[in-house]
Amino acid sequence: MLLIMLGAGFTMASSEDVRAALGMGAAVFLALVLSSLVISLICEIIPDRIKLPAYVMIIAGFVTLIRMLMDAWFPDVLDMLGVHVAALAVSAVIVRDAEEIADNRNIGKLNRIMFAALTGLLFTAVMFVCAAIREVFGNASFFGYKIDFLEPYKVSALNGAFGGYIVLAIVSAIIASVFNKRTKRRRAANYGGRV
Amino acid sequence: MTNITLKAVWGILLAGTLSNNYALLHFLGTGAVLENQDHNCKQSMLLGLGVTCVMVIANLITWPIDAYILDNAAYLQPIVFVIVILIIAEVLKSAVKGKAGDFCNTNFAKFAINGAILGLCIHNTANDYLTAVINSAAVGIGFAITLTVFGELRQRIDEDAVPRAFRGLPINILIACFMALAILAF
Repeated sequence: MLLIMLGAGFTMASSEDVRAALGMGAAVFLALVLSSLVISLICEIIPDRIKLPAYVMIIAGFVTLIRMLMDAWFPDVLDMLGVHVAALAVSAVIVRDAEEIADNRNIGKLNRIMFAALTGLLFTAVMFVCAAIREVFGNASFFGYKIDFLEPYKVSALNGAFGGYIVLAIVSAIIASVFNKRTKRRRAANYGGRV
Repeated sequence: MTNITLKAVWGILLAGTLSNNYALLHFLGTGAVLENQDHNCKQSMLLGLGVTCVMVIANLITWPIDAYILDNAAYLQPIVFVIVILIIAEVLKSAVKGKAGDFCNTNFAKFAINGAILGLCIHNTANDYLTAVINSAAVGIGFAITLTVFGELRQRIDEDAVPRAFRGLPINILIACFMALAILAF
């Protein structure tokens, strides 16, 4: 949940349209995987004093690369996302992930990169769900294609900032309750029914 | 440099604080606001003041860099701006001493790794220099007010009265949601 809190900004910003959500999800995934790959290789030689600026520079470089690729292949999606793709360079999610990878040197390099990939997939899934809800019920469309029978019932408020917050709050509450139930069941199994 | 009237200055200041609020309406720096649940009013205001200083100084430096140096290399804009912001945050951290200095050291990341600062620098490249500087001060003040009000509201929430599923992040988002709704009225 901490990760979702740190990434709430770009999650809500990109969840107006499913195409934007998938584009942002792909950008976050690539930024996380590529930066964690490089940082896991060089974290041992970076002095502690400058590790944060060094990580941010590495992430900024990859975000610039991703932005250029999106500009070449998906310019419409880049227009929808605007400055939020560039803001990924200073995203707390990616930077904290990089710091954790560098600090937990007992974990193998492959495990670090897989953890980063899983984080990226988690964000993509959350963004996709939020975007699907907002676009279907707020704009009566999905992936840019109009859904005619929902047109009279659309809730325009879901398109704006208010909709972003409300949908993310409900989705994160559902995620929290699912994880709470799983944690309870696991504890009950570990302690033989005595919680 | 274009002539700018006092009325226009007040308009930019008001807009930056309310209708152009970066954290609540543009979703830039929202993570820093949602994380601000454990700080009291004084700490939130100090954090907001720090971010405002970084925003204003960053815009003073990045606008000319973008206008005169990055003319043919627009793809370098995010990297160059990030370098400038990191340097400014580091200088600020070194300059502030005492208890405030310790606070700045602990929360350095919130000054430096803040999407609002980078987003503001990029947006302001479309304005003229004076408007960009005034806008950055206004957005910084708005960010500080948002941080302070959010922190105070969050501390007054009784966690036991909140349904279990909504404790933690969901209630933080709902608080920000109603703050955004109040600002949308402007």
